[in-house]
Amino acid sequence: MTAETVVVSLVTLVALVALSTVIGLLWRARQGQVTQSGDETVVKVRDVPGVARFAPGATLVQFSTQVCAPCRATHTVLETAASEYANVTHVDVDLTQRPDIAKRFRVMQTPTTLILDSKGRVRARIGGAARPGSVRAEIDRILAT
Amino acid sequence: MSSAKPSTKPSLAAKPGQRGIDPRGPRFGAGITAALLLIVVALSLLTPVGATAISRASEPGFIVFAIITILFGWGAIAGIQRHPYGAVFRALVSPRLRPPTELEDPIPPTFSQGVGFVITLAGVTLHLLGVPFGLLITASAAFIAAFLNSVFGYCLGCQIYLLLLRAGILGRTAAPTT
Repeated sequence: MTAETVVVSLVTLVALVALSTVIGLLWRARQGQVTQSGDETVVKVRDVPGVARFAPGATLVQFSTQVCAPCRATHTVLETAASEYANVTHVDVDLTQRPDIAKRFRVMQTPTTLILDSKGRVRARIGGAARPGSVRAEIDRILAT
Repeated sequence: MSSAKPSTKPSLAAKPGQRGIDPRGPRFGAGITAALLLIVVALSLLTPVGATAISRASEPGFIVFAIITILFGWGAIAGIQRHPYGAVFRALVSPRLRPPTELEDPIPPTFSQGVGFVITLAGVTLHLLGVPFGLLITASAAFIAAFLNSVFGYCLGCQIYLLLLRAGILGRTAAPTT
C-alpha cells in the first residue's frame, strides 16, 4: 500500500460522500415542487378510478404505489387539505392496480399529485411529497378563478 | 376520499392486522449500512484484487460486503420488522427518542431491502468472477442509495418499483376490472 494509494482512496471517499450529499440536496429542493398550468389538459372522470364526478371546487388526484413510504405522508397532507374545504375532494390512485394510468399521466415519481378544477382541467402538478402550504395555495388559486 | 378529520392520522398506519413500524427505524438501519458500505469502498480501494476466486472471497472488504448482502436478504425475506438493525434500534435508540408521531407501513422498507439485496448480490457475483471494479462500483452505488435514504429520506425502492410498473414487469397489466 503506497502513500499514493491512500491519498487516492481518501479523495474517492470524500468525493463519494460529497456527490451523495449534492444529489440529496438537489432532490430535496425539488420535492413538492408545483408546476402550474392553465393548460388544456382535461382529465375525464372515467380516467380516474374511484371518482364519480369532480368536486365543484377542486379535486386532488394523488398517484401512489404500495411500496412508497412518502405517499402515505402525502395522503395525510392532501386528506387534511381537502377536509378544510367544503368543495374539495381527494382521491388516491394506486398505480399497482393501474399501470396504464402511470403512462397516460407520465408519472415519473411517486407520489405525484394533479390538482383539477371542477371541469377536470389540470391546473397544477406536484412532483414528490406535497407540502401543506403549497397545496392550500394552489386550491385557493383555483377557487379564486 | 375526503372523510378523514384533520386531527386523525389513520392513513399512515399499516393495513389492518399489521403493526406499523417507527419510520426512524429503517433510516437508522440505512445509516449503519451506509457506514459499512463506505468501509467496503475504502477497503476495496486499498486492497489489491486477488488472482483467484478464493483469495478474492477472503478479502476483508468482500467479507464485510457479503455480510451486508446477507442482511439485505434477511430484511427482504423475513421483513423489515425482523431485521437485526431494527432490534438494535428498538433496544438502544428508540428508548432515547420521543415516541414516533406516526407509524409506517412495513411494506415499503421491506421492498427497499430487496432492492439493496439485488444490487449487493450483483456485486458479490461480479467480484467472485473477478470483474474489475465490480465490487467498487456496486458498493459505491449501494452507498449512495443507503446514504440518501438515511440522511434525506429518499426512497430508491419507490422509484424502481414505479419504473418496473411502467415497464409492465410488475403490477396488474390487464385493463381495469372495476
